Amino acid sequence: MKTMTYREAIARSMRGALEKNPRSIIYGLGVTDFTGIFGTTLGLEKEFGSGRVFDTPLSEDAMTGFAVGAALNGLYPIHIHIRADFMLLAMNQLVNSIAKYKYMYGGLFELPLLVRAVIGRSWGQGAQHSQSLQALLSHVPGLTVVMPASAQSVLDTYEYAATKARFPVISLEHRLLYDYSFNLDAGARPADPFTSRLVREGRHVTVAATSVMVADAVNAAKFVSEKAGIEAEVIDLHCLTRPDSKLLLDSVRKTGRLIVADAGWAPFGVCAEISRLVATSDPGLLKAPVQEIAQAHSPCPTAKTLENHFYPDMGTVADAICRLASGRKDHGVELPSADYKRRLYKEFKGPF
Amino acid sequence: MTAAYEAMFRQALRIRLAEEKIAEIYPSDKIQSPVHLSIGQEPHTAALIASLAPGDQLYTTYRSHAAYLAKGGDMRLMFAELYGKASGISKGKAGSMHLCSPEHGLMGCSAIVAATISHAVGAGYAFQLLGRKDIVVSLTGDGSTEEGVFHECLNFAALRKLPVLFVIENNGLAIHAHLAGRQAFSLEKLTAAYGIPYFLSPDGLDMPAVAAQTAKIAAAVRGGAGPAVYEIRACRYMQHVGVAQDFDKGYRDRAEFEAWRARDPLVREKALIEKFRPELDREIAAAVDFAEKAPFPACEEVLKDVF
Repeated sequence: MKTMTYREAIARSMRGALEKNPRSIIYGLGVTDFTGIFGTTLGLEKEFGSGRVFDTPLSEDAMTGFAVGAALNGLYPIHIHIRADFMLLAMNQLVNSIAKYKYMYGGLFELPLLVRAVIGRSWGQGAQHSQSLQALLSHVPGLTVVMPASAQSVLDTYEYAATKARFPVISLEHRLLYDYSFNLDAGARPADPFTSRLVREGRHVTVAATSVMVADAVNAAKFVSEKAGIEAEVIDLHCLTRPDSKLLLDSVRKTGRLIVADAGWAPFGVCAEISRLVATSDPGLLKAPVQEIAQAHSPCPTAKTLENHFYPDMGTVADAICRLASGRKDHGVELPSADYKRRLYKEFKGPF
Repeated sequence: MTAAYEAMFRQALRIRLAEEKIAEIYPSDKIQSPVHLSIGQEPHTAALIASLAPGDQLYTTYRSHAAYLAKGGDMRLMFAELYGKASGISKGKAGSMHLCSPEHGLMGCSAIVAATISHAVGAGYAFQLLGRKDIVVSLTGDGSTEEGVFHECLNFAALRKLPVLFVIENNGLAIHAHLAGRQAFSLEKLTAAYGIPYFLSPDGLDMPAVAAQTAKIAAAVRGGAGPAVYEIRACRYMQHVGVAQDFDKGYRDRAEFEAWRARDPLVREKALIEKFRPELDREIAAAVDFAEKAPFPACEEVLKDVF
């Protein structure tokens, strides 16, 4: 089976957008420098010209509003933030302009555009280089928020965005995934990539996950299957603003047990939202309370020892699956060792 | 008296009479939307837009009735929009603060001060990249120059020599706050720091002067000279939002307003007013009638056009 890294999938998608949509432009701080947004935009300026691929001043607010005027006049802007945290400087445009442009004018305008923002993690990225803001963004009507969790998902979503979508998309990429290699065509591929995906079938527990937690959930599911014969079903929520509720509810109907594993904070977040979806649709499906796996509800600390407590990992998910399947905290399944986890995770070495 | 002057005068008068009609209707509560009247500022808006090409785009703010009408927007659709009717420009979802007329190049009005300046810059970039010969006008008030994004936009427009004309209507007031208490900088010097040419019309009521100045600046911007900043001084006759005057509130000087009004062509030039008033009154009456008779949007509209 063909494999591809997440980084390579993004790089191919960026080139593909420029090739397949002659009106597309790619810009952002660092887009044309020698690092090329972690290698995802390298060489594009030379190949497609500095009119279509360019670096920007440190002006997130203006350059986000810039996308509005560009999109209104037929361009397809792809605006990249090398850290999602920098996007907060553009919240006025994202929330007050972009999210409302179609509705507020009664459908007279459409704003096809893509904002890519990279979530940092590990090696002391700290409080302002690591935030997962999917809940904040998904809360606002008019924004379409995706968190691609695999190379295939990147390829499908970005191609659709650049060539077919007529709406603004915010994509949160996870820095930790960049070096992961994925099998292409793995799992079900929905015709419209802006929805959820079934990643692994199982009958005992449903794990609905986002971003890097999808990889953790798949690793955890394999682990508990081998160690304890527990079969977890894993759903990659992917498009947080358009989750496949049928896929989710059908899965919970089958398993009766739900874990929501999100790469963000739990309160008012994806855990809360997916729980709301089940609670307001068919709460009788649940044989046990929903388990939530999320970051500690604090800013991200820098020290490695604290960071290890801040982030959940595949061990956290494995533990939750065993607890939920057995109905007991002392489920007796030996959890993955530090060595086991070290072999799974590509160690990210900083500084950026 | 030239035909061009009469056309500008007629447009300015049309806007004033339409807004006076809004003020007349407002107490009935048929218009349930915050209105920011341009009364006192219509002459410069009419003169500015008369000196642009039809393909030029405009991005402006919530005080936008004047720009909408001058750019060619249909008055009936505007009144229906203010009434919250399905036949309005945006099916009643925009109200007074978000007028637009894409076919005439009015691409949006924001209730967030300065939010449209960067839209104009993005449009200017698209024009440049696609080889379009039109220019983009960003029309905002003096308060917008205090927002950080104004500086970001001047910088990028100057860097890329974009065909964007930044027009600053300076009425000296941001809601109730005077310019002297808000700005430690001079707009002219700020503009110079970016290498952008700055122009000033000290009297926005002087329509021929504004028209001539605009034509000159627009030609340079259209010719590839890069962006320009154009300050037009004006007087807001009314309160910030709503349809009354508020000189009794003590924050502004009535004498200053009286001095402007004494020069106001829409007050002084009685012969022209008499010439145009009957047909304009008929147009306004027809627009109000259209709005009155139009249906309200159906409930299912609430969830339409979100994504």
